[in-house]
Amino acid sequence: YVSSSNAGGSVSGNGRHSSPAGCGGSGGGLSGGLTQPAGWQSLLSFTILFLAWLAGFSSRLFAVIRFESIIHEFDPWFNYRSTHHLSTNGFYEFLNWFDERAWYPLGRIVGGTVYPGLMVTAGLIHYILNLLHVTVHIRDVCVFLAPVFSGLTAVSTFLLTRELWNQGAGLLAACFIAIVPGYISRSVAGSFDNEGIAIFALQFTYYLWVKSVKTGSVFWTIGCCLSYFYMVSAWGGYVFIINLIPLHVFVLLLMQRFSRRLYIAYSTFYIVGLVLSMQIPFVGFQPIRTSEHMAAAGVFALLQAYAFLQYLKDRLTRQEFQTLFFLGVSLAAGVVFLTLTKPSLPPLLRYAKIHIPIIASVSEHQPTTWVSFFFDLHILVCTFPAGLWFCIKNINDERVFVALYAISAVYFAGVMVRLMLTLTPVVCMLSAIAFSSVFEHYLGDDMKRENPIKQHPFYPVKNSSVYSKLIVTMLMLMLLMMFAVHCTWVTSNAYSSPSVVLASYNHDGSRNILDDFREAYYWLRQNTDEHARVMSWWDYGYQIAGMANRTTLVDNNTWNNSHIALVGKAMSSNESAAYEIMKSLDVDYVLIIFGGVIGYSGDDINKFLWMVRIAEGEHPKDIRESDYFTPQGEFRVDKAGSPTLLNCLMYKMSYYRFGEMQLDFRTPPGFDRTRNAEIGNKDIRLKHLEEAFTSEHWLVRIYRVKKQENRQALDHKLRNIAAKQKYTSKKVLPSRFH
Amino acid sequence: MQRSLIACFFRASLCAEGLVNEDVKRTLDLSSHLAKITAEIQLANHGASRVNGFTLALEAELAPHLAFIGVKGEEEEDESLELKETTVHGQSGKFFEAQLPSSLAPGAKLRVKVETVFSHVLKPFPTHITQAERQLVVFQGNHYLYSPYPTRSQTTRVRLASKTVESYTKLGNPTKSDETVEYGPFKDVPPFSQDAMKIHYENNTPFLSISSITRTVEVSHWGNIAVEETIDLRHTGAYLKGPFSRYDYQRQSDSGISSVKSFKTILPASAQDVYYRDEIGNISTSHLQVLDDSVEVEIRPRFPLFGGWKTHYIVGYNLPSYEYLYNLGDQYALKLRLVDHVYDDQVIDQLTVKLILPEGARNIHMDTPYPITRSQDELHYTYLDTFGRPVLVATKNNLVEQHIQDVVVHYTFNKILMLQEPLLVVGAFYILFFTVIIYVRLDFSITKDPAAEVRMKVASITEQVLTLVNKRLGLYRHMDEVVNRYKQTRDTGALNSGRKTLEAEHRTLSNDISALQARLKSEGSDLAEKVGEIQKLDNQLKDLVCRSCQEAERLVAGKVKKDTYIDSDKTLSGKRQELVSRIDSLLDAL
Repeated sequence: YVSSSNAGGSVSGNGRHSSPAGCGGSGGGLSGGLTQPAGWQSLLSFTILFLAWLAGFSSRLFAVIRFESIIHEFDPWFNYRSTHHLSTNGFYEFLNWFDERAWYPLGRIVGGTVYPGLMVTAGLIHYILNLLHVTVHIRDVCVFLAPVFSGLTAVSTFLLTRELWNQGAGLLAACFIAIVPGYISRSVAGSFDNEGIAIFALQFTYYLWVKSVKTGSVFWTIGCCLSYFYMVSAWGGYVFIINLIPLHVFVLLLMQRFSRRLYIAYSTFYIVGLVLSMQIPFVGFQPIRTSEHMAAAGVFALLQAYAFLQYLKDRLTRQEFQTLFFLGVSLAAGVVFLTLTKPSLPPLLRYAKIHIPIIASVSEHQPTTWVSFFFDLHILVCTFPAGLWFCIKNINDERVFVALYAISAVYFAGVMVRLMLTLTPVVCMLSAIAFSSVFEHYLGDDMKRENPIKQHPFYPVKNSSVYSKLIVTMLMLMLLMMFAVHCTWVTSNAYSSPSVVLASYNHDGSRNILDDFREAYYWLRQNTDEHARVMSWWDYGYQIAGMANRTTLVDNNTWNNSHIALVGKAMSSNESAAYEIMKSLDVDYVLIIFGGVIGYSGDDINKFLWMVRIAEGEHPKDIRESDYFTPQGEFRVDKAGSPTLLNCLMYKMSYYRFGEMQLDFRTPPGFDRTRNAEIGNKDIRLKHLEEAFTSEHWLVRIYRVKKQENRQALDHKLRNIAAKQKYTSKKVLPSRFH
Repeated sequence: MQRSLIACFFRASLCAEGLVNEDVKRTLDLSSHLAKITAEIQLANHGASRVNGFTLALEAELAPHLAFIGVKGEEEEDESLELKETTVHGQSGKFFEAQLPSSLAPGAKLRVKVETVFSHVLKPFPTHITQAERQLVVFQGNHYLYSPYPTRSQTTRVRLASKTVESYTKLGNPTKSDETVEYGPFKDVPPFSQDAMKIHYENNTPFLSISSITRTVEVSHWGNIAVEETIDLRHTGAYLKGPFSRYDYQRQSDSGISSVKSFKTILPASAQDVYYRDEIGNISTSHLQVLDDSVEVEIRPRFPLFGGWKTHYIVGYNLPSYEYLYNLGDQYALKLRLVDHVYDDQVIDQLTVKLILPEGARNIHMDTPYPITRSQDELHYTYLDTFGRPVLVATKNNLVEQHIQDVVVHYTFNKILMLQEPLLVVGAFYILFFTVIIYVRLDFSITKDPAAEVRMKVASITEQVLTLVNKRLGLYRHMDEVVNRYKQTRDTGALNSGRKTLEAEHRTLSNDISALQARLKSEGSDLAEKVGEIQKLDNQLKDLVCRSCQEAERLVAGKVKKDTYIDSDKTLSGKRQELVSRIDSLLDAL
């Protein structure tokens, strides 16, 4: 708690100190040197940024301190595994990596289907550290990468906000982004995911873009392109940049703010950025083929046309120009119309097509609730419209940009919980601007007089407003303090669980660790054949590959819907039908998650309907969702449940021998704690499967698929060789010798 | 050729020795997964000459499984005898020559205790059992003591793990009671006699064996020794057949009776920061107990180990170096266990020891308690290393508890090298700060930006203007004080001198400001106009100050009444305030 409230302290501190610097408005940096020695100021901002970095880093360590340095959740396991592959086999081997352990029997071309930025970053850091003989394990590099990058995000947010407003607001924004839960949720230690570094790349690209629009210098634009390249290599969210920047240019054109600087910046950015982004194998030719990138191309053409018209305007007569202008405008409008109306709208929305069950089944693709806005952003969600208003009131080229950024990000965040992440930085920046302006107004004046002219006897002291200033300042500081407390609380409670290790607390506060996942995965790793194929629902694919190091059929890279549907079909069919599928897929083991013993709600029975739906999507003749409901339309596992459900493979595997188990004296045997029901089918016999392993709390159950037995022996008599005659020795011992 | 000659010689000497095993008591302890065979032998020298040593023999079937052999005198405190491997011509098996501390006179007798431990000689039979079944094992050995000497009388006592015995060989009508089978006594057994003994019995003790262990010891002269053991563990009992049912395992106490749930590892008493993990992280199912003379770790693998199952883990801890590292000047000696306790009755199939000495250690010499294979030394690089730490690598196969003994490593180390690492850090920071200083202080731009330069110039000028103007305002304030004092003391001289200094200083300041204004103008900055405006306002301000001064004079001279003076003073100060605030706002705008 100390570290974060510290950040709150520095937040309020910098608001006060930087306000003299802010008196010059947009040119804050320069006129700051007038009232304060530059050295003092830069030392202060350096210290604040450093503290923000430190606070951000340490507040992301809850999971490491509570549990251990471990990779969290699902996708990070894949990223870790590929980083491990990269660091052991080298970069080119990684690019050419064909992973035969995933999507059996199809395999997966990993090198061409990932955004390699994350792995390359972690691998590079690991390589450099090892070159310097700092023998850090690659896992630790991966675990601590996101917290370290959150510091870089804070710095780049500082730079961007400084360009937009002033240094004070920049420092405030850096402090906000360092601890805001909306960003922490994706960047706690152990959450080794693309977003962890992508937000840094996003902010830095925007900073360089604003800088290049401001200066019109090719140098900054090239920097922007390189940063954009990094972003493309890191996260699919780069389409947000490649749509927002053209939108910015387009709006500037509409606002009659065309300038040479803008022309240079965008033309360079588009060309170089396009070429660079096509260097990523996974992106390939998408930037010139897919609709998401067409807006950028359209705006590029429009900008050229606009510049050409501007050029002609000086050379042609008014009459000629008018005709040409109309021609040009209609052409350009046509191009823009085509690009914008072609479904270029869904840059990030593409994920959100609800009618694909596999996408709808992911919880982070659900629409955002109001609560989660407040939960993730707290007071910032209330203050950022004020910042936006400040920006729009004193509009200039770069503030147009931030306004567009804010509006589009709000829209996307509303569509999908996951995209809260892109909203968070802009909210931090705009809130910082709002807070900074308020502080400037209510603290700044007094402070300014304090410096040279304080002792002036003729200066009128406005006693009347001191109290109101005091109250407003105190109120603002209180808000910031509450924000810091809320951030720490949310981080500690909501975003710091590795989800691979579960913990439960006893009445006396002592902690029980439920390590069932790793128990089972490690069993698979140690005690099954190296090439054994494990069938499980796709959620656990990456974890099985990462922790158990075994071949999986489907995983979290849900690229092949029909393959997933096949697994779903196997899970939802009866045992013999499932056996046919499993046989055809060469399955050796089946792994399921069962939470009935400890009351773990994220288990496979609770996800089961999604399996059925996905299977139904591909095999509507064999699987029907309605079969799994009672006539009343309920999904129940007890006696009243539908017979199809009670005899499907998933049900059988989950509840195998569970009917004998009495968990406590108040409940009957076979009482499922997750669904609070006594199971309906207690006499489960498996014919083609056998229990291979069940973890201590029954959370993970692994079944072995029996190999086909030899055919039944034919009913025949043993060959009987009848002796036709007795061969006895004719030699008889003469008895008389005895 | 030479070898066989020597063997011939030995054989000849054996026969000539005339040694006889007078009385032999053999104990076969088969209660764990090891076969511990102890033989108490009474040797008698029936020959004519004194004997300096004797030969021990092992059967050819058991010899490859020998983990340990030791010979002791009958007293407990007796030193164990030195053993040398030899061969005996014409006989299969393994032979050791034991050296007696003092030679045995003809006719004299001697009692020795021969201890041998064999691993992997208890074979599970049946080889595959289900979870509910018990584990049965077969031991195949020799009823007699395998010896190059004739034996007068011997008994063999077999200790088993349980009462359940499926079958046992019935040579000489043995007696069986509870968990023991006693054979013999056998009289006058000729040398090298063998008779197959076979016992098939129930043995549910954990058949754990360490298929490989890598023990890494990293010595730091900063006071720490880090020990890390990477262990591959395997259950070598009967394989588990069919399903593993967690329900049965939890509900029935005799289900999976031969499986391994947990075991205890004993670490040195000073062990700290113990960790127990594997490739996928910390293994949370362990308990640590600090006792007076040791630290006990209850190691529980992630899952119970059934027959044929294996696991892999890492245990590590830190030791304070003062307990294990001794030095005399530059001479250092490290004394610690070559292999440590993992579990009771441990079997290590393959051991690799890596001793990482500090960077710069030279003249390394290793004293091992028993022969061990040394591999090529390696170099290890870790934090702040430049030329690498020497690593001693040694391997040995088939070790048991008796091998837990100390190794001593001698080396020389120049203490001045201790400074290397701190200096490296200092140097790195020095370079960092120096680069920052260089970068900040020097201009590396390849182009000159005239606009920025002008801006910077203007900024410095305006800053000067600012200080000058403030100084000038300070003058007025000072003048006010002079006037006030004058009003009280009526000292015209002081007033006049004050006025003079004001005039003089004001002139120099105003001139300076005008000069700066001219420079601003030459730089083309529009701030020059503002400075001009300030100058104009200042002129008015100065007039006001002079006027207030005159008014004060008139008041003192009695030319005006006090009331009118106060009125005029008020209007004057009002005007002044207005002017000052206007100047302020102009200054702000600079």
